[in-house]
Amino acid sequence: MVETAAPEVTPGSIQEVEEKSRSGLEPGFLVICWNDPVNYMDYVTHVFQKVFGWAKKKAEFHMLQVHEQGKSVLTRESMEKAEHFVHQLQRYSLHATMESDQ
Amino acid sequence: MKIVPAGDKFVCQLGKREKNLLFDLLKLYPCIPAARPGATKAAALPETSQRLLEEALAEQRTTNRLQIQKWLADPHRFEETETSWRFSLSGPEIEWLLQILNDVRVGSWLSLGSPDEKLELSLLNAKTAPHFWTMQLAGEFEMRLLKALEA
Repeated sequence: MVETAAPEVTPGSIQEVEEKSRSGLEPGFLVICWNDPVNYMDYVTHVFQKVFGWAKKKAEFHMLQVHEQGKSVLTRESMEKAEHFVHQLQRYSLHATMESDQ
Repeated sequence: MKIVPAGDKFVCQLGKREKNLLFDLLKLYPCIPAARPGATKAAALPETSQRLLEEALAEQRTTNRLQIQKWLADPHRFEETETSWRFSLSGPEIEWLLQILNDVRVGSWLSLGSPDEKLELSLLNAKTAPHFWTMQLAGEFEMRLLKALEA
């Protein structure tokens, strides 16, 4: 990912709270974004904010995960919702996939 | 390119050469191959989902291509001044332009062989230069649009 402005957060500086216990969840699909070094960091942050409606800090957290770890699991959804989000991310030419959360 | 917020729109001002460059970039769309490797990860993904995603993307590309042709041909969109061109963009139009430009940017990068983060100038030769500069230019316009949205 091409570096642009310095982000306000780093991975690990915020902890995401799992609101539901895993055992209570229905079978779902993970929406994953993979690193393409060509994409600007600001661009990826912007797309995450736009597609998921996230605050900038959360979007930056996931952008940095993509940048530093090569991928980030963005959300876990039903198949239909996961398809929707993958399509939205692909419209922005981000490398997004979904896979079953088994 | 200068972009100034004006109410719920953005007024853009482009130099004459900049306008030609922007038009040339938009005409290149789509640059990402339809069957981009790994665009949808097959592992554990139902065949119907994969097909649905591919179809939705193909449909989107057709719509975008037609929209670009319409956009570029609209005689009322661009107003010529003595030294520049002016036009206005809504928020959704900026999002749409970002999508088009990033397709061109990523497609050019793929044509360069998907080089790593540091895009070495040593990659430049007669064959790669058009892709390299297309990628850079598309990125430059993207950053201007993003800055305008943040302002």
